[in-house]
Amino acid sequence: MTDRPSILVPVRVLEGESIPGGVPKLLADAHVVLLGYHVLPEQTAPGQARLQFEERANRRLAEFEDLFEGAGATVETRLVFTHDGQQTIDRTIREQGCVAVLAPNATGDVEDVLVAVRGTVGADRLTRVVAGVFGDRGVTVTLYHVTGQGKTDEDAQTLLDGLRGRLVELGVDPDHLATRVERDGNVQDAIVAAAGEYDAVVMGESDPSLATYVFGLPADKVAERFLGPVLVVQRERPSDGEDEDE
Amino acid sequence: MSSERSDAAGSGQNAAGETPATDAGTVTEATTEHDDTQLERTIGLTGGLAIGIGTMIGAGIFVFPGLAAENAGLAATLSFAIGGVVALLVALPTSELATAMPRSGGGYYFVSRGMGTAYGAIVGLGLWLGLMFASAFYLVGLGHYAGAVLAELGVTLSFSPVIATGLLFGAVLTAVSIGGTENTAAIQNVVVAVLLVVLTGFLSYGVLDAAGVFGSSSAPETFFSQGYFPVLSTAALVFTSYLGFAQVATVAGEIQQPGRNLPLAMVGSVVVVTVFYVVTIFVATSAFGAERLGQFEETAMVEVARDLLGTPGAVAILGAGLLATFSSANASILSASRAVYALSRDALLPRKASEVNLKYGTPHVALLAAGGPILVLVATGQVELLAEVASFLHLVMYGLMCMTLLVLRRRDPEWYDPSFEVPGYPVVPVVGALASFALVAFMQPASVAVGVVVMAAAYAWYRYYAGSVVLEGAI
Repeated sequence: MTDRPSILVPVRVLEGESIPGGVPKLLADAHVVLLGYHVLPEQTAPGQARLQFEERANRRLAEFEDLFEGAGATVETRLVFTHDGQQTIDRTIREQGCVAVLAPNATGDVEDVLVAVRGTVGADRLTRVVAGVFGDRGVTVTLYHVTGQGKTDEDAQTLLDGLRGRLVELGVDPDHLATRVERDGNVQDAIVAAAGEYDAVVMGESDPSLATYVFGLPADKVAERFLGPVLVVQRERPSDGEDEDE
Repeated sequence: MSSERSDAAGSGQNAAGETPATDAGTVTEATTEHDDTQLERTIGLTGGLAIGIGTMIGAGIFVFPGLAAENAGLAATLSFAIGGVVALLVALPTSELATAMPRSGGGYYFVSRGMGTAYGAIVGLGLWLGLMFASAFYLVGLGHYAGAVLAELGVTLSFSPVIATGLLFGAVLTAVSIGGTENTAAIQNVVVAVLLVVLTGFLSYGVLDAAGVFGSSSAPETFFSQGYFPVLSTAALVFTSYLGFAQVATVAGEIQQPGRNLPLAMVGSVVVVTVFYVVTIFVATSAFGAERLGQFEETAMVEVARDLLGTPGAVAILGAGLLATFSSANASILSASRAVYALSRDALLPRKASEVNLKYGTPHVALLAAGGPILVLVATGQVELLAEVASFLHLVMYGLMCMTLLVLRRRDPEWYDPSFEVPGYPVVPVVGALASFALVAFMQPASVAVGVVVMAAAYAWYRYYAGSVVLEGAI
C-alpha cells in the first residue's frame, strides 16, 4: 500500500462544485490530493477572500475529505485563493508530485475502465496509475489504442501487449486485462465513442502544441464529452524546473 | 527571501469591536501560505512593470506638457527630470521594504508596521483618498482628450464634454470593476505595450525633427525663461505623473518571486517613464517653443503631434492618450481596493468595507466607496488641484516610507529581512524623505490646504474609530 499513486482532484470549492457520486470509490486505493480552489477577479486581493471565505471553504473540503477517507483513500487537502486556476493546478501537480489529475464526473460502480494508450512515451506512468488505482479491485481494464497511418495493427498489438506485461508485473490479475485496437481518423472521437461502453477513462495528457492552444487539450475535451470520470495521467515534468514569469 | 513564519497579529479593537486579522503566513516564491491555505501569486515581472508604467504613463504625460511649459518654459524638461529623480530615490527604499513585507497594502503596510498605527492610519487612509484624487485627475484628463477627439471629428456640443466624459467613464469603470473582470491584467499589459510603441515611434520622430534632420532645426530658447523657482513648483505639479511605482507595492502580496520582481518592477518602471517624460517634454517644447505650447494647455500633445505628423499623428496621440488614462484609472482602482482591504483587515476601517460578494467575487463596498467620491471630484473639473492633492497625499506617504526604512534598519527587528537592500544607505532614504517633503513645500497653498484637511480627517477617524488598535511590528 506504500506506492499509492498521488491523484489530484481539483474542486472549485465555493462555486457549488462537489465530489460526484462514485468518485470516492473510484479513488479508494489512491493518495488523493484534494485541491479546493477559488478563482477571484483581479479587483480582489486573494487575502481578502481568505478572510471571508476560508472557514466556509474548509468546512466543505472537510466534508469531501471524509468522503474519500470513508472509501479508503489517503487524503491531503489544500485550499488556494487565486486569480489563475490553471496556474494553481499546475503548481500543485508539480509540488505534490501528482501522477494524474481527475476530471471528476459522476459514475456508478466502476466495473470496467478504458485506458487510452498513445505510445511508449509516458507508458511507465500510465501503468503505475492503472495498477495503483485499479490493480486490486477486480476491475476490467481495457488497453485501447487507435492506430495511425503507416502503422499496422500488429504494431499496435505489440505496444499493448508490452503494457499488459508490465501491468501483470505490477501485480494486476491477467484475467482482468483486455486489449482493443481500432482504426479511426480522429483519435479523440474514437476515444469518446469507445468510452461510452466503459465506466471511466484513463488517458495521457498530450504535449502542448499549437493545436492544443487553439482547441484545448484533448484530455479536457474528452472529459467534457464523455460524461464519466477521466483520469488524466500527467507527462513527466522536469523536476524543480525554474518557472519563468507567467 | 524571508520565509520564516511570524504570526503576531496586531492587538486592540476598533469602535465596532473588530480586531486586526493577520495576513502574515509564510511567503514563498509562488504563494503566501497559512497552514493548508495558500494565496497564489499570479503577477509576474511583466505584470508588475505594466502596473507601474501603466499607472504612471497616464494622463500625466499628455495633460502636463502644456501646463508645465506655461509655468516653467523650456526648463519644464528639468522639472520632469527632478520628479524622476525623486521618484527613484523613493522607489529604492520602497523596494527594500516591499521585499521584506510582500503583502497587500504597500506603503500603508510598511509604515503601520514600522512606525505605528497613527502614522499608518494617516498613510493608509491618505493613500486610499490619494488614489481617488489621482483617479479623478486621470478621468478629467480623459475628458479633455475626449473633448479634443470630438473637436477633431468636427462635432460641436452645446456643453463642455470634458466633465461629462470623465463622469461617464468613471461610472463605467466602477461598474465594470464591481462586475468583476477576468484578464484585466492581460489587457493592461497589451495597453501598456501599445502605448509604449506609439510613444516611442512618435518621440523618435520628434527627436530627429528637433535635431533638424527633417528641415530647419527648431530655434533654441532660453532654458530658464521663467526663472528658477517655477522649475521646482512645476516639478511638484507634474509629480502626479510619477505616482504609480508604489502601486506595485500595494499588490506585493500577489507578485511572483517577490524578492526579485518587486525591485525590478518598481525601479524599472520609474526609469522607463522618466526617460519617456523627459524626451516628451523636450520634443514638445522643441516643436512649438514653451510659450505657444503653454497656450494649448491640457491637450498640447495633440497639437505637437499634428505639427510633426499631421492629422494621423494627432489621431494616434489621441488614441494613446485615451488608452493611457484608461490604464491609469484602472490600475488605481485595483490598488485602491487593496488599500481598503489592508485597512479593514487591520480594523482601521469596518470589516464590511472589504466584503467580497460571492457572485462577482469583487469587493463591491470598497469599489463603490471609491467610485462615488471619484465622481464628485471629477465634477469639480480642477485638473491642477486634483493632481496636486493626489501628489501631496502620496508624497507624505513616500516621505514616511523612507523614514520607516531608517527606523527599521535602526531597530532591526527579527522579522525584518529584506532580500533587496537599498544602495547608498543611509543617504538615499534620507534624501528621498527630504525631497518628498520638499516637493510638498512647492505646491500651491490651496492644494496643501486640501491635503492637510484630508490628513487631519484621517487622523481624527483613527482616533475616533480605532484608537486602541496597535499594529507596530505586527507583521
